[in-house]
Amino acid sequence: MTTSEAVPVRAEALVKRYGQFRAVDGVSLSVPQGSIYGVLGPNGAGKTTTLRMLLGIIDPDSGSRSLLGSSRPRDMSHRVGYLPEERGLYPGMKAKEAIAFMGALRGLSWAEGRKRGAEMLEEAGLSRAIDAKIRKLSKGMAQLVQLLGSIVHRPELIVLDEPFSGLDPVNQNHLEQLILAERARGATILFSTHVMGHAERMCDALSIIAGGQVRFEGSVDDARSSLPMRANYEPCSGGDAVARLLPPDAEHVGDRWRFTVPADGPEKLVMALVQAGHGIAGLTIERPSLHEAFVKLVGETADLRGETL
Amino acid sequence: MRNLFRDAVVIARRDFLSIVATPTFLLFLLAPLFMLGLGVVSGTGAASVATNSVGKMRLLAIVGQGDAAKLRAVDAELRQLYRLEDMPPRLEIMAPNGKGAAQADTIIAESESEVRAVLSGSLATPRIRFVPPSDRHARYLAALAEGALASGPKVSADIAAVSAPLPSSSARQASGFGAVFGIFFLTLLLAGQSVGMLAEEKSNKVIEILAAAVRLESVFLGKLVGMFGVALVFVGFWALMALAAAQLLPSNPLVSGFAPAVGLVPFLILCALYFTMAYMLLGAVFLGVGAQASSMREIQMLSLPITIFQVGMFGLSSAAAGNPGSSIATFAQCFPFSSPFAMAAKGATDPAIGPHLIALAWQGLWVAITIFIAARLFRFGVLRSGGGWRALFGLRPALDTGASSPGY
Repeated sequence: MTTSEAVPVRAEALVKRYGQFRAVDGVSLSVPQGSIYGVLGPNGAGKTTTLRMLLGIIDPDSGSRSLLGSSRPRDMSHRVGYLPEERGLYPGMKAKEAIAFMGALRGLSWAEGRKRGAEMLEEAGLSRAIDAKIRKLSKGMAQLVQLLGSIVHRPELIVLDEPFSGLDPVNQNHLEQLILAERARGATILFSTHVMGHAERMCDALSIIAGGQVRFEGSVDDARSSLPMRANYEPCSGGDAVARLLPPDAEHVGDRWRFTVPADGPEKLVMALVQAGHGIAGLTIERPSLHEAFVKLVGETADLRGETL
Repeated sequence: MRNLFRDAVVIARRDFLSIVATPTFLLFLLAPLFMLGLGVVSGTGAASVATNSVGKMRLLAIVGQGDAAKLRAVDAELRQLYRLEDMPPRLEIMAPNGKGAAQADTIIAESESEVRAVLSGSLATPRIRFVPPSDRHARYLAALAEGALASGPKVSADIAAVSAPLPSSSARQASGFGAVFGIFFLTLLLAGQSVGMLAEEKSNKVIEILAAAVRLESVFLGKLVGMFGVALVFVGFWALMALAAAQLLPSNPLVSGFAPAVGLVPFLILCALYFTMAYMLLGAVFLGVGAQASSMREIQMLSLPITIFQVGMFGLSSAAAGNPGSSIATFAQCFPFSSPFAMAAKGATDPAIGPHLIALAWQGLWVAITIFIAARLFRFGVLRSGGGWRALFGLRPALDTGASSPGY
């Protein structure tokens, strides 16, 4: 990323301690404008604390942050939407009112908030919930109401902390579509998750946090490329003699051999196998998944801190 | 700053409607019916003040030594005919100083004299002046003159009210005490409820949304204003009830003697303003303390020290009301949390308006300080924001000096 690009969210060396425990230990990240940016990490990695510092809910012990160009994040709150990890709504409020209330907190008029709230609920297929009290809604519906409340004022930046947790697959898909629609509108989306599937499908860029530190920042492809590719090879003949030509980590699984593709590419190895007369009955080369990259990047640190993947 | 108040209004609106539009509010509104016991206690206190006030009243006869003895004798006889509660004020005798009627007029015009009626001139044609509504006391003095001249000529008394009666100092002190008690009673009923006002947001996790969207000072101010709106509905309702009841009651000398130094209407306005300040000040303290509590049990435990604190402020202000001009009165007027009560009492005994404007500004400043500290403590202690004690009070050096991103 170049400095000439607009960066709605920037963190530099953020540190947050709770007693002797460093929950966030020098986190730096930059979120490109108009992107969907994922903050990935195991439970307890410091994702939520990082987001709360970026939003100005809490102050860091050291480091700097910039939100929509301001070093005072709270001054930008009317241009930001936020869905916290711990969902919260007033149970006695009607869904439409709850959305309007959250909009009013971000500078939207109550009347406009009600109007937009009703429209958004209709678009989300929740017409019957418009005048229903929150306590009457299912957890998924209430969560959706809260998400709508966090974007009703059409913010430039939307921060979602574990937005998919607690949702069934249908609602998860609905939420994905909502996030993509917001990106299409021009909003920048920053969300945290420890579920790789969503990040892999949606994120333009991501950072992986473990042990309170950023282990990786870049695109999904970059993350997957951080691990070597894997090959599945099925020889025509040769028995165990094949193993002498394969990399040391080769595993024999049924008729196939699985191994890491050499750093200089598979070509030389393939030539050697053919020349040795083993032939190629089948060969597939796979890029590692984000999940594999994630596990590799954070696994050891997570174990050390008691984080859960 | 505009955002702070606008955001506070959003919070206040939500809180006000969420409370008033519930059946529970009816219970709250009618709660005073269950507090008749407290009313009896306060009535006893008010009666005590009234008794003290009546005890200081006196009747005066400006007569020579011979007439004085006769009047004392008749007074002693007639008093036996009265029930204790109807007993006329004590009779005092004063020797004439040669100025005639002017001597009597001077004495009765002095607000501090506590003289309700004065007799001067001869017993056959006494001149009697009284402070309304003490006409019955004037007739009592005439009866004394008749009794003293039982065997002599018929008495022809000249009885008239003084034209511009001034309230006595004790009446004003009683007015001051009434103001202190009234404001204390209302804040005791209403302000203590603010202790648990953030419990809802903490339990349903809405606090995270509020903290992310608006300044915590707005949240605290909004909650106070919202709750104060509820208190106003309560006070308005019961004030109307009291006014309606007052129309049905006969004239009460205690009420008719209600004579604050600044004037009745300004005094009522001052009382309303001081109630507002007392509510906001004490409410902000309780809200801030309650916000630190982590459970309903802790909030319940806080109710006792809160009540003690309020009673302490009441005691201090009552002492101030009883001793205007004393050092304790000055202290109570300056100490932020007793200032609204003590200044209301001052309005009853001191006609100056200027000090009230200063006091209101002073109290408003402390409302802001209290809300600021409460919000900071909440952010520091509950939200676990960092930065140490310097950050707690906004003294922390700028951490967030990240350069603005191009394009914004």
